[in-house]
Amino acid sequence: MSVTVRSRGYPFSLWFYLLILLCILNTSLFSQERFRRNPPFPDPLPELTLPEIESASLSNGLEVSIIRRQDLPVISMHLIVYAGESFSPDTLPGLATFTANMVNKGAVGLSSSRITETIETIGGEFSSETHPDYSVISFTFLEDYLDTALEILGKMILQPTFPRIEVRNVVRTMHYDLLGRKSSPAFVGRRTLLRILFEEHPYRNIAFNETVTRNLNRDELLSFFEKYYRPNNAKLILIGNLTLRTAVRKVSRYLNTWENKDIETEDTYPPQPNETLKLCIVDLPEEEDATITIGNTILLRDYDDYFPTTVLNQVLGGSPHSRLFMNLRESKGYAYFAFSTVEYFKACGILTIQERVRPNAIFESITESLNEIRRISSQVVPDYELEQAKSYLIGNFPLRIEVLEYYSSRLAAIQAFELGEAHWNSYYKSMMLISPENVYEIARRSSLQSPVVVVVGNIQELSPYLQEFDLQVYDPNGEFQYTIKKGETE
Amino acid sequence: MSIFRNKSFIFCMSSLFLFGGILLRAQEDESPLFEVTTFQLENGLQVILSEDYSLPLVSVVLAYNVGSINEPPKKTGLAYMLENLMFQGSRNIGSMQHIHFISKIGGVLNAVTTEGRTIFYQTVPASQLALVLWLESDRMISLDIHPSKVKRTRDSLIEEIKQRKLDDPYFESSVLFDQLLYPNKAYSHPVIGSETDLREMTTEDVQDFYTKYYIPNNAVLCITGNFEKRKAIQLVREYFNTIRPGKPVPFFPAEEHLKSEEIVRNVENYLAPYPGFYLGYRISSPDSPDNYTLAIIEYILLHGKSSRLQKRMIYEDRFASHLSGGIELKKNLATFKFFIKNNTETLRGRSQKSILDEIDKLKSDFISENELNKAKNMFKRDYLDQFTPLADKGIFLVKFHLSQKNKSNFLEELKKYLAVTPSDIIGIVNRYFTEERVVLNIKIK
Repeated sequence: MSVTVRSRGYPFSLWFYLLILLCILNTSLFSQERFRRNPPFPDPLPELTLPEIESASLSNGLEVSIIRRQDLPVISMHLIVYAGESFSPDTLPGLATFTANMVNKGAVGLSSSRITETIETIGGEFSSETHPDYSVISFTFLEDYLDTALEILGKMILQPTFPRIEVRNVVRTMHYDLLGRKSSPAFVGRRTLLRILFEEHPYRNIAFNETVTRNLNRDELLSFFEKYYRPNNAKLILIGNLTLRTAVRKVSRYLNTWENKDIETEDTYPPQPNETLKLCIVDLPEEEDATITIGNTILLRDYDDYFPTTVLNQVLGGSPHSRLFMNLRESKGYAYFAFSTVEYFKACGILTIQERVRPNAIFESITESLNEIRRISSQVVPDYELEQAKSYLIGNFPLRIEVLEYYSSRLAAIQAFELGEAHWNSYYKSMMLISPENVYEIARRSSLQSPVVVVVGNIQELSPYLQEFDLQVYDPNGEFQYTIKKGETE
Repeated sequence: MSIFRNKSFIFCMSSLFLFGGILLRAQEDESPLFEVTTFQLENGLQVILSEDYSLPLVSVVLAYNVGSINEPPKKTGLAYMLENLMFQGSRNIGSMQHIHFISKIGGVLNAVTTEGRTIFYQTVPASQLALVLWLESDRMISLDIHPSKVKRTRDSLIEEIKQRKLDDPYFESSVLFDQLLYPNKAYSHPVIGSETDLREMTTEDVQDFYTKYYIPNNAVLCITGNFEKRKAIQLVREYFNTIRPGKPVPFFPAEEHLKSEEIVRNVENYLAPYPGFYLGYRISSPDSPDNYTLAIIEYILLHGKSSRLQKRMIYEDRFASHLSGGIELKKNLATFKFFIKNNTETLRGRSQKSILDEIDKLKSDFISENELNKAKNMFKRDYLDQFTPLADKGIFLVKFHLSQKNKSNFLEELKKYLAVTPSDIIGIVNRYFTEERVVLNIKIK
């Protein structure tokens, strides 16, 4: 330690200063491992390898498909029938839903409670859901009981009894279910939107309310079932650890006598999109906040339009990192949430924005939402934003299908619309190929800029903020009431 | 760094054997549903790995063996507060950035606090395993417990309590029922805590609780999904091995139910729209073999529309508009609860009689083979359902590991439930469903 700096007038040795400096650096910078400071880089994403969809047809026209999953000793079975809500007669919306709800309510020699008990005996669960284009009867059970499950399904489809008491029970349940939903502003907003968008189209039937239940009856049910529940109008999907050969053999044993019949159906034509901005309001006086639902139909040339449309939705409002949420909630503080979704029907898509906002920010929220729609319709999405959206969708896709319910639901849609590999095993590839121009093209040829806007909340509180618009007032059932002219309030 | 990693890996591989290298497999005559590897780091962190290549996803579950039962007297709500604070930033991660990082890549995350555990879980694309381990390790090593964050969280939890009371008009009566059923206060307060205790809570209280319990030697990390085992072990060691262990966690004293006479109380509920009641029995400890039979009894009575009580009370007699319940496990204690809502006060009495009738039948009559098989198959289905999605599987494995059953095979465990006989049911119902029940009647005002 002979090196000193005293001769230069410094009071302490250079080594002392270096030591102090090292101590400071040690406590402030080096007290944690370097790798903790920044997020690590991701590894390459493994390939998406989904089981193949194998199909065969029975002699009566029923198409049977299997998707082999060996992870659990459970089989999930789904009967798709092309008898969605758009097939209900104009005079009886809700009939398709009612029919699907009645399937498990009685068969020859089997009461509704006996069917329930048998399903539970095989560790099973039964459900039905009705979409605009098709209905799905779903049945999940322990794999040892495939024969029992098919036997019950066969009896329900081939020998239904639709007991009158069960008809009354199901009608009552539908009535009270719909009545209960009338207090949900999100449900009321969406139903009103669909009713307006599909006013002149068979899809209007999906927006039915509880008043229709008084017209639902056994005769209409029988006639609808007889007409549409036919093997040549249906597809059966089985997901589980089984081969196509086994599936076809067993299904054939229980469903081969299901009689086919020619069904006269017309292809659902695309609806006319809304062409001028329309603002509607539904009065729910007890609501403290305002719920905004904005939407319009999107005309799809083919099912490949699904991918750019899904990316468009993701950029606009698919997640908390999307434009709507970042603008209306994070930046402006108007909204509790602001998201968009896109749904795909056979004849069109529908883009819907839903937001819950502060009442005094209702005007600004609508304006900003329309601005965001205008922006995505008139400007090409920047590359970095597009890549972020695609990365989210690619990362999120397997997450959605890892839940059996969504897995089945996606397969049902793929089979019902005959979507093909691009929507299943090639999802990553299909999504990665989307360019900003593809998204712009979808936005450009859609009428997104002239949507229907439905506000649900306390009309007396909200209408003063909306004087710049002609306001069409609807009741919670979706029926038009009257118009509040521009400049007037309720 | 590379040398360090290599050394880590050598240690890990040896630790697989040193700590038992438990491979939870089914018996040789059955193909295993999935394999599990467990090991322990030097700092006490227990690690479970289970590969599943069906989808390009990975799920990370980190469970701390702490819950509301561990809260000191008059400090209720601490565990739930810590769960909330865990998302509000640590040394290298800003407030709410944990959520941002996960959701930005299409992942999902959540957390749950119970009486005995606090569990954080997230599922992300398989390429992002390191990101999740980075996030989880940072909040384990350096959670930022700043007074402003404690105050903000406290205010939001107090609001949540108020909202819970508004949303669930039966919330307060359920707390009262727990106080009757569990005389030990540690077991009976709600996880969300009390408004009074939260108002008095200090930053030091929160910091002390964090230092005491949110440490590697009180945690289990489980990774399930599409990963390469060797790489995962390397990453776990990189992010967690240098976290210092805390002091040994105090041993939680074993607790047994006290003997008591039947307790019947009434409560007038101003908010509840319908009358109803709670009925509870104090049963065996959670690790008792009696629980296999009790679980099947739960299915016979309550699960499915064709279960004895659902069928009788909801669909046939229509005495009740709501019926729920089952076994509740709280650390060292377990109870069997029923909660019923009725349309009228008269129906409440009839409902109670229906339940007691069905219990009496189980005490004396052998259950039919068909009915027993139905209950077992429903149980089996629910047991298997715990293995998907990946996060649920991780939570199942963590709970299994933390339970007394951690050395056995989970399919062997299932077989024990499926081996329950009609005689077992008669014996167990007579042992536990006695006159020493607790009843709380809810009367509406």
